[in-house]
Amino acid sequence: MELTKDVKLVPDVSQEKLVDLYKQMWTIRFFDEKVDEFFAKGMIHGTTHLAVGQEASAAGACALLNIEDKITSTHRGHGHCIAKGATADKMMAELFGRTTGYCKGKGGSMHIADIDIGNLGANGIVAGGIPLAVGSALTAHMKKQSYVTVCFFGDGATNEGSFHEAVNLASIWKLPVIFVCENNQYGMSGSVKEMVNVEHIAERADAYGIPGEVADGNDIVDMMNKTHDAIERARSGEGPTLIEAKTYRWKGHSKSDAKKYRTREEEQEWKAKDPIKRFKNVLVEAGILTEEKAEEIRKDAKQEIENAVEFAENSPMPTEDDLLTDVYA
Amino acid sequence: MREITYMEAVREAMSQEMRKNEDVFILGEDIGVYGGAFGVTRGMIEEFGPERVRNTPISESGIAGASVGSALTGMRPIVELQFSDFITIAMDQMANQAAKIRYMYGGKGKVPMVLRTPSGSGTGAAAQHSQSLEAWVTHVPGLKVVQPSTGYDAKGLLKAAIDDDNPVIFYEHKTLYKTKSDVPEEPYSIPLGKADVKREGTDVTIVATAVMVQRALDAAAELENEGISAEVIDPRTLVPLDEETIVNSVAKTGRAVVVHEAVKRGGYGSEIASMIAESDAFDFLDAPIKRLGGAPSPVPYNPELEKAHVPQVPVIIQAAKETLIKA
Amino acid sequence: MAKEVFMPKLSSTMEVGTLLQWFKAEGDPVEVGEPLFEIMTDKINIEVESYEEGVLLKRYYDVDEEIPVNAVIGYVGEENEEVPEEPPAADGEADDGAISQAEGGRKYTPSDVPTAVAPGTDGTPAAAVSGAEKAPADADGKVRATPAARRVAREQNVELGSVKGSGPKGRVHEQDVKDALDSTKATPLAGKIAGDQDVDLSQVEGSGPHGKVRKADVMQHTAASAQVQLSEDTERIKLKGLRKAVADKMVQSTSTIPHVTLTSEVDMTHVIDVRKSLLPIIEKQTGYRLSYTEILMKATSQVLEAHPRVNASLIDHEIVLNKSVNIGLAVDVEDGLIVPSVKEVNHKGLAELTEVSKTVGKKARDNQLTPAEMTGSTFSISNLGMYAVDGFTPIINPPETAILGVGRIVEKPVVVDGEVEVRPMMVLSLSFDHRAIDGAPAAAFLTDLKERLENPYGLLI
Repeated sequence: MELTKDVKLVPDVSQEKLVDLYKQMWTIRFFDEKVDEFFAKGMIHGTTHLAVGQEASAAGACALLNIEDKITSTHRGHGHCIAKGATADKMMAELFGRTTGYCKGKGGSMHIADIDIGNLGANGIVAGGIPLAVGSALTAHMKKQSYVTVCFFGDGATNEGSFHEAVNLASIWKLPVIFVCENNQYGMSGSVKEMVNVEHIAERADAYGIPGEVADGNDIVDMMNKTHDAIERARSGEGPTLIEAKTYRWKGHSKSDAKKYRTREEEQEWKAKDPIKRFKNVLVEAGILTEEKAEEIRKDAKQEIENAVEFAENSPMPTEDDLLTDVYA
Repeated sequence: MREITYMEAVREAMSQEMRKNEDVFILGEDIGVYGGAFGVTRGMIEEFGPERVRNTPISESGIAGASVGSALTGMRPIVELQFSDFITIAMDQMANQAAKIRYMYGGKGKVPMVLRTPSGSGTGAAAQHSQSLEAWVTHVPGLKVVQPSTGYDAKGLLKAAIDDDNPVIFYEHKTLYKTKSDVPEEPYSIPLGKADVKREGTDVTIVATAVMVQRALDAAAELENEGISAEVIDPRTLVPLDEETIVNSVAKTGRAVVVHEAVKRGGYGSEIASMIAESDAFDFLDAPIKRLGGAPSPVPYNPELEKAHVPQVPVIIQAAKETLIKA
Repeated sequence: MAKEVFMPKLSSTMEVGTLLQWFKAEGDPVEVGEPLFEIMTDKINIEVESYEEGVLLKRYYDVDEEIPVNAVIGYVGEENEEVPEEPPAADGEADDGAISQAEGGRKYTPSDVPTAVAPGTDGTPAAAVSGAEKAPADADGKVRATPAARRVAREQNVELGSVKGSGPKGRVHEQDVKDALDSTKATPLAGKIAGDQDVDLSQVEGSGPHGKVRKADVMQHTAASAQVQLSEDTERIKLKGLRKAVADKMVQSTSTIPHVTLTSEVDMTHVIDVRKSLLPIIEKQTGYRLSYTEILMKATSQVLEAHPRVNASLIDHEIVLNKSVNIGLAVDVEDGLIVPSVKEVNHKGLAELTEVSKTVGKKARDNQLTPAEMTGSTFSISNLGMYAVDGFTPIINPPETAILGVGRIVEKPVVVDGEVEVRPMMVLSLSFDHRAIDGAPAAAFLTDLKERLENPYGLLI
């Protein structure tokens, strides 16, 4: 599907779906910006990790998934949640620690999960979700089910043993899993340039005998194209793929980060590659969206987050009676 | 009744469940044609094939995590770790993922998996292959911890563990694998959290786990010759712990000796002793609770040192007598 | 190891005891329960039994010396064992003279005395000989004891500090508290017998002060349980109600009153004549038949007037001489015995007495006696004359000090003025409280009564 002269979309996707994805990217951004604001105001406690600027990789990698397909996510996972179909109100309620939240207020920002729609959960342990994704893929393989599992992790996670063990397992067992490494250039303060001695993390796939692809993580179309191929391979029993989505996190690592490890110029360079603006331009150029319609969608997304906040604020708090429930099944 | 070894009982429990339930499978290092480090899975790959008796690379974290993921998505995996020392490598997946997922997710999802692993010294395997680290996992809410001392218990408890919807750490003992006991052929389940009074007595309660159960029974037999009636309780599962049986026994005898092979400092015996002290049995305690456990050193290689590292029968006898002021 | 022999603290007010005599010389063997020495306190004289067996190794004090409570006055141990030449200092010798005790270093106040373990305030010997160490107390007065020992001590109201601990560093264990309970619950001898015969002292009812178990109690208990074991098909009747009251009263009487019973045979020839003559008259007048009981009451009351010591009550260590002669009449009722009191017998004629005694007898059987009719007697008569009983040993009805038992009238050959004659004879049995009455005055009373009955016409005066 030729969107513009330069932009070709491989998978067969409806125009409505593309418009939905555009809105979804705004939802992701506004959600995280709202969370950022609330943290700054001290309205929610704990910590949070924002994915502002990384919307295309989350939305793009999940764009082609069915409800039966699974994802595993990371500490920077709000975007993945929304991309996999979570609603902003239950997410916001979770951050507010309310019983209406996805985890009844027991998980918080780093543990949002919705197994019913295939979200196997965000994860506070770097690389912690990678073996889980492999296990999920193992189930699909053993039960001969057709679902695939998209496994999100960051550049930092690829230096964890779990990554290597899990990718190797998936490879030798040819499991239907797509490893999506969101290389946002920093593992907390550690620059990927200092921490990894290969140009592309995707090269690490070679070590396990699986395909490694570099994608433009700020281009949702490229993300869709690359995951499309990986999903095809996974569903056809050819095993896993490692996709490296090169992107950038606009905000700091977590709420108190002075970002001394990088320059403001570098940030501006990446902000110029704003994935949402880029996608809007493509859609407008392709005649799928007008500027006015785009603005309307943006406002809708913003309103959706406001509604979510209202929902969260009006939701009940858990009580001490809830403390010891759900420890065991 | 039929007599089989502890190891055969474990294998039988797994095989019977695997025949019954397609979701149950086993994965681990060298569990295929090799039969596992101790031979527990011998013959299983021939019956169930390599898909369900899944030989893995040496990746404890990876296979533990993959088990969690597969359990979360509908399978009932049994992980075999060659030595329980290696749980250190799988610990992130067990403690940070398996144990917490259900709670973190607000009660959604479950992780019905069993991690089987042999612990303990007595084989000359030295410091990195002889530890008893069960206390580590008992500390993590969300995990269940089982420690059978006989083949009969092993079979019934393993079925219960496989049937359980929670992650269960199932500690086998290397030196018990060859011990024989009467084990029914048909499948049966021993509920997790039910202690077994291995011997009734009136003067002192000895709470012993795993390989120490037999030693406690040997000690009780000798104590009987001296007119001391010892009750031996095997908790069988550390989490959940059958507090009632222990408390009732101590309330009856007024004296408690807690013995395990694991290093005494920070061992699960501390938990049992504290539990007794906090319970209704406190008012019936007529002597300080005695704890016996491994020495505060790594497990040594030299056979005499290795023996000296863990409680032996005379030490248990001595401790029991001390509670009776007869030592 | 030699055990110290202490001056026991026999009451909450006792500070010192005076040594009256030693029953053992140094070197003499001593058995558990054997009297070791006798002391005098502010209240009583008492023999102190040994808690230990062995040899009396040392006597630190001589007769007539005053010794503070808890002071070590000697040692019992194995032969040739070495003991100090001088008595070791005891807490009882505290220089401020306070009644300081070894018990956990606490001041010993009467309210601290738990009933179950308290040395009897009436002077029952307490732990006179105790182990070398009592429960060791820290400087702040804490006693080393196990939770179980503390629980039993709490339940049984035992002062933990007074219990000798058998554990390391003198730690008190549960059994120590139980032993202490048993030892204070029973006399040393009873304790020893109980130990030998494997009797659970808690199952034995003590007849001593505060339920203290004595040798006889243990013997009785073993005998009773042996009997019970013999006959499996026995019917068991619980001791309750009137039966229990009678039982308690009898135990109290026999266990506290030193009884002596005198008997004397009375020639009833003239009493029979008197009764024969008066019976129709009184029956006509009152509707009641005169019985020998009334004649006996009347005669007794007259003789009592001349023997006030026999018409006395012993109350709180005082002999109370009663002005009135109120005679208690033992009446056999269903499953028990009631002793209604007939007041001022000495001032009543036989007709009135007949009416009154018949009336109270009926009221007793009908359970209609008023409290006034049940109390106030100064002397009792128990008449078993309707049975084939001659003499018996009646039990005194306290606080009375004597009781007259009346047997049947039976014709016997007796020698009268050198000739054998058949006469109606009756035995009187007089039990008296030897604390209040000595043998001679009691005998004099009985003699006078016999004479009065053999010459009963004075009754008519």
